[in-house]
Amino acid sequence: MYKGGYKGKILRVNLSKNEIKIEPLSKELVRNYIGGSGFAAKILYDEVGPEIDPLSPDNELILATGPLTGTLWPTTGRIMFASKSPLTEIGGESHVGGFLGPELKFAGYDMIIVKGKAKSPVYLYIEDDIVELRDAKHLWGSDTHETTKIIQEENGDPEIQVAAIGPAGENLVLYACIIINLARAAGRTGMGAVMGSKNLKAIAVRGTGTVEVADFEKFMELAEEAHERIDKNPQAREMTKYGTPLLVAYKQEIGELPTRNHQTGVFNEWEKLSAETLRENYWVKTRACFGCSIACKKAFKVTEGPYAGTFSEGPEYEGLYAFGTNCGNPDFGSILKANLLCNKYGIDIISAGATIAFMMELYEKGIISREDVEGLNFTWGNHELIVELLPKIAHREGIGNLLAEGTYRIAKKIGKNAEKYAIQVKKLEMSGQDGRTHRSIALGHATAARGADHLRSLITVDQLGYEEIAKQRFGEDKLPEICNPYTEKYKAYATKITEDVYAIRDALIVCWYSCAWPPIFWIEDFAQILPIATGIKEFGSIEELYKIGERQVTLKRAFNVREGIRRKDDTLPERFLKEPMPEGPGRGQVVNLDVMLDEYYELRGWNKETGIPTKEKLKELGLNFVINDFEKRGIL
Amino acid sequence: MKFLYIDPLECTGCRICEMVCSFHWEKVLNPRKSRLRVMRVEAGLDMVIACRNCAKPKCMEVCPENAIRKVESTGLVVVDEKKCTGCTACIEACPFGAIYMHPDKNVAIKCVLCGTCVKYCPVGTLRIISPEELAQYNTARYIKKIKATFLEDLKIPEDAKREGDP
Repeated sequence: MYKGGYKGKILRVNLSKNEIKIEPLSKELVRNYIGGSGFAAKILYDEVGPEIDPLSPDNELILATGPLTGTLWPTTGRIMFASKSPLTEIGGESHVGGFLGPELKFAGYDMIIVKGKAKSPVYLYIEDDIVELRDAKHLWGSDTHETTKIIQEENGDPEIQVAAIGPAGENLVLYACIIINLARAAGRTGMGAVMGSKNLKAIAVRGTGTVEVADFEKFMELAEEAHERIDKNPQAREMTKYGTPLLVAYKQEIGELPTRNHQTGVFNEWEKLSAETLRENYWVKTRACFGCSIACKKAFKVTEGPYAGTFSEGPEYEGLYAFGTNCGNPDFGSILKANLLCNKYGIDIISAGATIAFMMELYEKGIISREDVEGLNFTWGNHELIVELLPKIAHREGIGNLLAEGTYRIAKKIGKNAEKYAIQVKKLEMSGQDGRTHRSIALGHATAARGADHLRSLITVDQLGYEEIAKQRFGEDKLPEICNPYTEKYKAYATKITEDVYAIRDALIVCWYSCAWPPIFWIEDFAQILPIATGIKEFGSIEELYKIGERQVTLKRAFNVREGIRRKDDTLPERFLKEPMPEGPGRGQVVNLDVMLDEYYELRGWNKETGIPTKEKLKELGLNFVINDFEKRGIL
Repeated sequence: MKFLYIDPLECTGCRICEMVCSFHWEKVLNPRKSRLRVMRVEAGLDMVIACRNCAKPKCMEVCPENAIRKVESTGLVVVDEKKCTGCTACIEACPFGAIYMHPDKNVAIKCVLCGTCVKYCPVGTLRIISPEELAQYNTARYIKKIKATFLEDLKIPEDAKREGDP
């Protein structure tokens, strides 16, 4: 049925049985879910039920690529990891760029599904048809950089692509991540801890094969056009020059630069972390992921001060937020150092930063004292502390053992109303946005399938002055309200559409930075390229793609519903609902979440009271297996 | 004697040139069939490796089948696929690692300066350059940058400074 885009093979690895099998990629899976995140959602629903503990051998770790992965369409060098998350205990997933995704396709596989637990540390080695579990006892304890280097060296091939966990994953830090190409992270929802729980230290891939597409000449023509659109986009060119640190200045301007555990959206010392400052003082090199003409990755080097000599592919905006503004810390050297340490230890930057910021606020509010935290000084902006804490977290040493649990669990443990300051939704620490000054992300954070997440729905065009694009994407009649970040109006509508389109993006898999910011590609571009790549003509229908996107979003919701998630969980920390933004352009703003939620459930066809997808909607989307499952479990 | 060149500090390592090359010559997307290679050296150096069309090509010297010759008019080093037996002597001999084995045909492949990749380089700095041009190419800037980033520990002794030096 498909003529290109896919390799047609799934690798199933059972670590407990030391067994490796190759399965064909089913046509139904392709037709109904396209790839990447869609594949993972279906497999997780079918194979990982609510009775399975995230850190038990029965949980599965899925690596999935999409039909465009490893082709020359721009920004398609991606792969995604999915599993039940040990941090959130619902569906977890994390996408990452670099070079692993294409390499897996060149090796001949669309997907890897890992189950079980190895008796002792192993790594999965894939070289085309050679697939082996190899001893990794000598790698256990080493960081992701050492692990990558040793695997490449012992196999005599510097081009082997490695996904590795560091000590944080081994020690089951709940927000441990997986690192690729030393500095690209499948960061969120603790996928590294899942690998650690399976005694799987790394996945190493070398492929020498070919990625086919259905119509090569046409595909290359469209790919060239797409690259040209990036080339001509002034904002993409800005991204090439500065990368995501650009957002620091934009967000300061609109009062949405989360500062001191989201107390405010204004950071007075923002200029020390601005893209221009970074470019001028620290920038060394611009780098790209596979086949990408945006090249947003920046390598920085610090040459002065206590962090002199730190040289690493540097923090994204989210890193500058997590260890910078949100901890009240304007010291870039410390942020680069913390970023590098997180990459080496395999720790999610956002969750780690948010956890430290949370502790700093508890200290400020007098909920914890220095005696409670080994005499450490949790004052805002104490950058020495941030750098000191990361190895402790990775090794679960002393106070690090507590911090490794994330804000939700720490708050439970401390009590004393600490949960008020835990900036998380569904146990996932919030990313660097603030719903008070950007209403649609309030809804996004509250409803996203993996918790307080910005990557599944963040509508950038309603906020950063893209009226023309907002008009194209959501209709002229939605203006001017759609571009007013302080009103709830039309935000549920725009969030639904955006989530559905991003679900397709995550199935292809295309990078966030070509659809959202800068907003270049959209669903019509996917409908154009998909049939050319795969030969499946139904993928050429925008309506059909919307339906597949909606199916994916609803299936992920169904997975979470089965885990107990209801409307009551689709909420925000009190801060966003009750504490008005204290200063800046959005001064006085709070989120009226319920209005948006009602509208959102209605648009989604989910029950307004419970947040459970209705039988009619499930039927319409062809999710009959969910209906059967829900009925059996008494959910419907 | 021109050759393909990109400043390793400007190259982003995106590998688009590799893929374009494979598509141009083989009509498939397979980096192993590309006539050039992108090397990514962590944590911040990327470069394109392609045939330099040496004045005295080692590959030509060692080829037991006389399958490699240097075209006098253009300076280009070319492989005769019909004569090539895939013995890999040229691959071993090349000081740049710029000759590769075609995975299906088992013959040596190398860059012949068709220039297709140059058109698609997103940074726009992949170029076909002559040794003379390379020598002139903004050397000062290049060295300054290298010094600032990779060799900063190299200290020039105070007494080595002449009057008027910065």
